[in-house]
Amino acid sequence: MAIELKVSEVKMGEAYVGKWGMVIDQDMCTGCQACVAACAMENNLSFVGETDSGYGRSMHWIRIERFWEGSYPEVKMTPNQPMLCQQCGAATCEPVCPAFATVHSQAEQLNLQVYNRCVGTRYCANNCPYQVRSFNWRDYKRPEPLPNQLNPDVTVRRRGVMEKCTFCIQRIHKAQDKAKSEGREVVDGEFTTACAQACPASAITFGRVDNPDSLVSQLARVHGHGVKHLEELGTLPNVTYFKGG
Amino acid sequence: MSDKLSRRDFLKLAGVGAVTTAILTGCGPASRLVKREPYLQMPEYTYNGLSTYYATTCRECAAGCGLIIRTSQGRALKTEGNANNPLNLGKTCARGQATLQGLYNPNRVRGPIKHTRGERLYDTATDPFNDDFADAKSNMDWAAATQTVADALKNNKPEEIAFLMGMAPDHLFDLVTDLANATGIQSPVRFGALSMFESRATLSKASENLFGQTGLPLFDVGGAQVVFSFGANFLETWLSPVSYTRGFSALREAQTKQRGKFVQFESRMSSTAGKADEWMPLRPGTEAMVALAIGRLVSEIRGIPVPRAFSDIDPLDAASKSGIKLEMLNHLAEMFANSTGALAIPGGAALGQSNGLAVAEAVLALNAVVNNFGKPGGVFFSALAPNQTEYQGPASAKEVGEFVQKMIDGKIKVLFVHGVNPFFELPISLQFGGATKNIPQIISFATFPDETALEADYIFPDHHGLESWGYQRVATGSVGSVLSGAQPVVSPFYDTRATADVLIAAAQLAGGKFAAALPFKDEVEFLHSKVTPLINEADGFFSAPDVNTFMAYFQQFGGWWKTTDGRSIPNSADVLNRSLSSAEAEFAGEGEFFFVPFVSPTLAEAGANKPWLQELPDPTTTVMWNTWVEMNPVTAEELGLEDDDLVSITSEAGVLEVPVYRYPAIRPDTIAIPFGQGHTAYGRYAEKRGVNPTDLIGQNFNEAGDLAFAGMKVKIKKIGKKKPLSRLESIMGVYGVGLGEEK
Amino acid sequence: MIKRFFDWLKKPLGLIAVGITFLALFSLAAYGISLSQQPPAQPVQFPHRIHIGFGIQCLYCHPGAAKGPSAGIPAEARCWGCHNQIVKTQTSLLLKPLKDSVISGKPLQWVPVAQVPDFVQFNHRAHIAAGQNCENCHGDMSKMTVAENPQIFNMGFCLKCHTKVAGENHDLLVKLTDCGTCHY
Repeated sequence: MAIELKVSEVKMGEAYVGKWGMVIDQDMCTGCQACVAACAMENNLSFVGETDSGYGRSMHWIRIERFWEGSYPEVKMTPNQPMLCQQCGAATCEPVCPAFATVHSQAEQLNLQVYNRCVGTRYCANNCPYQVRSFNWRDYKRPEPLPNQLNPDVTVRRRGVMEKCTFCIQRIHKAQDKAKSEGREVVDGEFTTACAQACPASAITFGRVDNPDSLVSQLARVHGHGVKHLEELGTLPNVTYFKGG
Repeated sequence: MSDKLSRRDFLKLAGVGAVTTAILTGCGPASRLVKREPYLQMPEYTYNGLSTYYATTCRECAAGCGLIIRTSQGRALKTEGNANNPLNLGKTCARGQATLQGLYNPNRVRGPIKHTRGERLYDTATDPFNDDFADAKSNMDWAAATQTVADALKNNKPEEIAFLMGMAPDHLFDLVTDLANATGIQSPVRFGALSMFESRATLSKASENLFGQTGLPLFDVGGAQVVFSFGANFLETWLSPVSYTRGFSALREAQTKQRGKFVQFESRMSSTAGKADEWMPLRPGTEAMVALAIGRLVSEIRGIPVPRAFSDIDPLDAASKSGIKLEMLNHLAEMFANSTGALAIPGGAALGQSNGLAVAEAVLALNAVVNNFGKPGGVFFSALAPNQTEYQGPASAKEVGEFVQKMIDGKIKVLFVHGVNPFFELPISLQFGGATKNIPQIISFATFPDETALEADYIFPDHHGLESWGYQRVATGSVGSVLSGAQPVVSPFYDTRATADVLIAAAQLAGGKFAAALPFKDEVEFLHSKVTPLINEADGFFSAPDVNTFMAYFQQFGGWWKTTDGRSIPNSADVLNRSLSSAEAEFAGEGEFFFVPFVSPTLAEAGANKPWLQELPDPTTTVMWNTWVEMNPVTAEELGLEDDDLVSITSEAGVLEVPVYRYPAIRPDTIAIPFGQGHTAYGRYAEKRGVNPTDLIGQNFNEAGDLAFAGMKVKIKKIGKKKPLSRLESIMGVYGVGLGEEK
Repeated sequence: MIKRFFDWLKKPLGLIAVGITFLALFSLAAYGISLSQQPPAQPVQFPHRIHIGFGIQCLYCHPGAAKGPSAGIPAEARCWGCHNQIVKTQTSLLLKPLKDSVISGKPLQWVPVAQVPDFVQFNHRAHIAAGQNCENCHGDMSKMTVAENPQIFNMGFCLKCHTKVAGENHDLLVKLTDCGTCHY
């Protein structure tokens, strides 16, 4: 089968509109880690233990970055920055995968990680400017009875497989399936990702960016000064950040 | 061998190997080994593969947030907030999310155990991934267990029977209180490390002194324009963190109103202070002085005569002692005075000092200058819960100390412990451990094999919170009056039994006044007796024509609450006419460093046995799975210390060895250690990990009886060894600096 | 050493050894393949044929197929609803496991026949709603005694149908052949 390269179709900046998107208000984010825990519980993330997490092998699909500016006493903590897969429109991880395990979903406009195709070259993680991919360095065992809480809607990954945030695609499918069974479209706010649902500060909002009436689109318009990280690389990220302050 | 192996031979061998593998595994129907058990009788409204949702209450801390648990085929899968519950409105914190890792924790007490004090409850291997080692076996049945409790009740004088319980004002506390009132056994003592670190008793006492009423003040952060917080870490663990975080989010909301400002006064930048527009690293112990000075400046700016409360303070003096410049104090005072919604919050380490009560009063008085009491963005008294007539605070550390003294004096013959782990949560200096030696019988109702269960004679495990019935009064954080309801979302995983059921059954066995005190069939009947009177109350979230419907709604919605504003307005008439103390705190112990223990925002007092909470990076340092001591880089350089260097920290109460984390946002004369690790039991994920900073806290109290946990000075010595800390930031920032050898 | 081994293989004894090894592997493979073609042993020799013969619809026992992802194995209460009125249930040896299970309260342990790997998220509801009949994938149960799996549920099997159904509808084809539709 011929592979169609659609590089020429990728447009920079304004012209690109994705499907699912997120806005994150850094001024509201308190760094409480509720999203990180919610993500781990929803998506069957493995915990890796003290040693491996020290080597940077922890499997967070979302992490909260904070940086320091200045030195004491004029030191400032920069606004907490939840960092997750930006679901780029032109993702740098995709073209480097020799196994086509990280592909662009034309239907949902997401970056997919197909676990059964992944052979573990880790090229995608090396090429991701946001450093949001995590690799299963081992088969991290969950002692009994911890596996009882595994989410049946999400694949349990094994050793040698790359993984990353999916924008809770299982929830997208579930909502679409429910809507379809009731003969309607998915309503904005009907469902959301695990991180957005947990966030006590309501700093994360998820929805359709191609629908101008959705809450994400409205927030993006009202704020007006949203930032897309490393946009200059031409990755066309679908996550918008508000610095606030 | 490899040097003799030619490429050709290798390919041949590999070919044979590949074919064999393909034949042997490719066709093997390995997945056929799966077996599926259908239900014998499918529960109503259940379909295979579709989830069922149950409303219940989070038991990870005492706040009482409502949860919705997703279950499928009898297993709990995911925690979400209950959007109906007015306290958390559908939101959760990290600890609430991880509650399932407690339910399905590999180390739980699996049945009633007769136990020799000190005997291990599970194998000591600490490999978190190994599941070959087992918990101690249950060695008695529940009939014998109930008989044991009945004998303990019957064979001792009532005044020699005592209950030590967790902070949450829940149904079990009501049951034991009823039992105590009817039979003359000691009233239950409620305590938790969080109540100590939150300084709840100090807040309540200050309210009593200023407003003539005990209770927890409620600070309407969301409605304010300018928030000054003196040590209150309300975005982490303080009082009701989810509710206060919602308030903070509303404060920052900038579309429909002006973005609110937030200033935090504390010597170490907590993750709450990290969100502040201004962080004021004042010298520990000068909080009262600074608050009064700002109060004086505010009254001057507003052009009102300086009230008596602020008349004795000299702002210049306060500036020089606290280390905050006078211009800055003026700037802050202007900010406070010129705002239409200014709010000042006292809390946390600022109150855990010898002058804690004075700090609380001074900061509350600051609210009186702008008179925000009962106004949006101001100070209220928290709404009392539906079946509550007065504020019931947990015991202060001093009251616990008196309780320990009773134990030492041999006045307690039987001690029941539920929902609290005093061996871990109480500072060693309070001598709880030694005092238990004078108690003939200790019965623990611990769900997990914690340090206290390890020192008990019997362990009669209670269900996990998600397996139990109950209710919990919401002490603070909501506008209305809230009673969060709990119900089992899954059937009990082990041979555990609800403590309320055990007590009710034991009281029946004991007979006499005990049986009369608890005339119930079981826990659920007791719950109904407490909850169903609410059917007649007005303004409920729902109403029901009869008791059964009411209880069905109670379970369905996850509790009962009023739709009206239940907060009351503090009587502030006399606040500013009082003379308030501006004395500095006194610090116990020798040493050049102020010592600030703080509660780990992710672990808190009971999170260490949940592996994903261990793997959550600390919000400020990003350290996982361990304890560290925060030290200003300048101080570290002076002491010749680098990251991960072990130091020994000596206070008047004890010595600890901790690795250094050079933290840029802490005063050079202050060090800080998180509380949450340092378990000697409590399951494989918690044990032998980090240190417990309460070991350093001496027996010093403030005037309200709270422990002056932040009123210590300590010495630091370099040991010359390293303990590498796992941290998230190493891969994000300095690539290559990981654990150990890369450096 | 390897060289000596290959030399030995070329000698008569070696050739015989190769032959035996080959035969052993071949018969193992044949056995493996034949195993995968047989329906696995079930606790009850459930005759789908007879039940369908009585006119019982698939969805009567597997209602989950129309509601959600999993068709489900019926609860024993469902079996018992009819069988406790059938005299043969008391006497039949074949039905003894069901009787024992209901009386003892220990569920039967069925071995699922039609399975997809863990990394595939399959949803029955969508397929039924799209007008697919059960037998399109599961075969004609009215001809089967114990459930067999007539198809090997591999990706080719799924995609063949997905592309056919989509036909000229490009949007549907994109949706139905998207990796993320089944793998997440």
